[in-house]
Amino acid sequence: MEYEFHWNIVFQKLPQLLNGAFVTLHVSVLSMLIGIAIAVLLAIAKMSDARIFSLPATVWVEIARNTPALFQIYMAYFGLGAFGIHLSPYAAVLSALVFVNAGYLTETFRGGFQSIPKTQYSASKSLGMSSTQLYRYIILPQMFRRIYHPMTNQFVWSILMSSLGILVGMNELSGETQRLQSLSFRTLEFFIVAAVMYFLITKFVLFSAALISQKVFKGEL
Amino acid sequence: MKLTKKLFLLVASIATVTLFSAANADQLDTVIKRGVLNCGVVLDFPPMGYFDKDNKPAGFDVDYCNDLAGALGVKTDIINLAWGDRIPSLVSGKTDVVIGSTSDTLERAKSVGFSYPYFVFKFQVFSKKGTPINTFDDLKKVKVGAALGTTYETEYLAYAKKKGWGNENYTSFKSENDAYLGLFQGKVDAIISTNTNIATKLQTEEFKEYVAGPYVPNYDDVVGLIAKRSEVAWIDYLNLFLIHQIRDGKMNQRYNKHFGSDAPADLIQALRDNK
Amino acid sequence: MGTSFFTPLSWSDSGFILTGVLNTVTISLVAILVGTLLGLAVGFFRAEANKFTNTLLGAVLDILRSVPLIIQLILFSTYIGAVGHPLDPFVTGSIVLSLYTMAFMSEVFRGGFESVHQSMVTAARSLGMSYWQTVAHIRLPIGLRAVFPSWLGVALSVIKDSALVSVIGYMELLRTSEQLISRTQQPLEILIGVGLFYFIVSYPLSLYGKYVERKMAI
Repeated sequence: MEYEFHWNIVFQKLPQLLNGAFVTLHVSVLSMLIGIAIAVLLAIAKMSDARIFSLPATVWVEIARNTPALFQIYMAYFGLGAFGIHLSPYAAVLSALVFVNAGYLTETFRGGFQSIPKTQYSASKSLGMSSTQLYRYIILPQMFRRIYHPMTNQFVWSILMSSLGILVGMNELSGETQRLQSLSFRTLEFFIVAAVMYFLITKFVLFSAALISQKVFKGEL
Repeated sequence: MKLTKKLFLLVASIATVTLFSAANADQLDTVIKRGVLNCGVVLDFPPMGYFDKDNKPAGFDVDYCNDLAGALGVKTDIINLAWGDRIPSLVSGKTDVVIGSTSDTLERAKSVGFSYPYFVFKFQVFSKKGTPINTFDDLKKVKVGAALGTTYETEYLAYAKKKGWGNENYTSFKSENDAYLGLFQGKVDAIISTNTNIATKLQTEEFKEYVAGPYVPNYDDVVGLIAKRSEVAWIDYLNLFLIHQIRDGKMNQRYNKHFGSDAPADLIQALRDNK
Repeated sequence: MGTSFFTPLSWSDSGFILTGVLNTVTISLVAILVGTLLGLAVGFFRAEANKFTNTLLGAVLDILRSVPLIIQLILFSTYIGAVGHPLDPFVTGSIVLSLYTMAFMSEVFRGGFESVHQSMVTAARSLGMSYWQTVAHIRLPIGLRAVFPSWLGVALSVIKDSALVSVIGYMELLRTSEQLISRTQQPLEILIGVGLFYFIVSYPLSLYGKYVERKMAI
């Protein structure tokens, strides 16, 4: 192998890489939070009988699920730009991730909701539960249990896909790596470190998720 | 049994010899034997490299690739690279040489082999007419953009840092083309690019309402061809090729074709002096 | 001189776009095919292997699933060159995308194999079937049928992820359109066309997947 590794430059630039990793985490967490909020609304709209609500929700979900994330990011950046709507690279990536997260989570939430047998509603009523009690103690805990795992996966997906920020010059981990490697031309070193960082971030997220689920669900998922 | 053993020995020795001689052939031999020069160009940087209306590669750098291949007596395979692909493409052997306006910084020279300079750029501000930019320092008041990982991005950011401007008004673009598209759409008020690219953009219908502004202070962007650092003989050949381009008048011819005038005497002199 | 670097889209560009479409289709099909075959082998192996091998293999697959595809593409493409075996973008892209697909497919198939009840396999063995006969006649057909919707889901995401191979220089649909955008400065029209293509390919297949899933649920 002709390639000689120069690691010292990577260590010098470690603060910048860590800063990039922070931006990655930041944008993915935010995209999940906003995505969840929108997905709840979309799921309700999609289950509605009125087409005026269900149709737009369906269109959103299907576009989000059936086009590449890369396309959505370009669309948010240069596509909206053609209308004079100028998002910063951060906002473009965030909105693309929110769009997709909301699309996928809508189906997750709807599935979770519909998976609960209708008989449980009548059973709780006959036990004299109020509807707040019904949702608080019966429906939501079960639902949450069912959507927890898909939600964790979606979060990991967001972290990985935020790497597409490299294509709109965003300063998240991949974009920062790209900048640093083109200044020093140490491609392998910088991208290896970035890969390790992504791995650690996703492992950390999955580990915390497992920890939380043990606490909350007492292991029965 | 004996026969198999002999055969095995024969195959093994042929393999060894082939491998050995292959390892001895340097890049120059490899290119000549292959009959094709894999020439990396950034086709994102008119008039040095771009796609013409038939989606075919064209430009000053592309012509240089063809001139080099002509000198070697081989065919050219133009390989389109993004800025960030230049080194990986060399390291990975995808390209033999990259003629792609690579600034010859000492940091980069630790990783890759540079030829003598083959062009000198100036970095300049480009903005819509009426944008209040008279001096370079006016940039702090407007939204500025440039292509990610380029020398002019580094220069701008270093300048901004020195002046204590901060980076809030700065946007990176993945590529030079994206930066122009961003300016065209109004994502940023001004971009920093090279004087040559700006000059060509000014001749287009789309950028009629735009003007070239101040230069980045005290900076000449001297660029070279790049090749694998270890291929010293190959880089020697590239150097001689560049000398011949000037001596034989090819440099001036190409300049004329792409910039519409003779190459400035100071540019030619700077290249002759290797600075 | 005086030629414009910006020229509007024209009919002569359709051939160029078509090349991009064909390249996207080709690399997606290759990755789905190779990824499925490898995934099937690995998935079966994982369903059968002991805990130690499983953990080891799982760790490797885990890396493929936990590092962004774009980084894997850049790293692999640079690495194979650095060790002196440069490959063209199509081959490089196919290898990375196939392995990436395999990582997801193997989980799908592993689940499928494990979903076949042990009692059914035992019954088959007691009927005199050999180990491989149970694999061929019982576990494979039943296991595969159960996972078809998940398989389709992974395949669809591969078609979409193939857009990322553009970063190592493969002229697939998104990269060709990007080149056209640079030339024409008309991002909107071109991007909408690209989005429509993916949608037209992906949407009917996803509907079919849902249909099969519903039918199987009944």
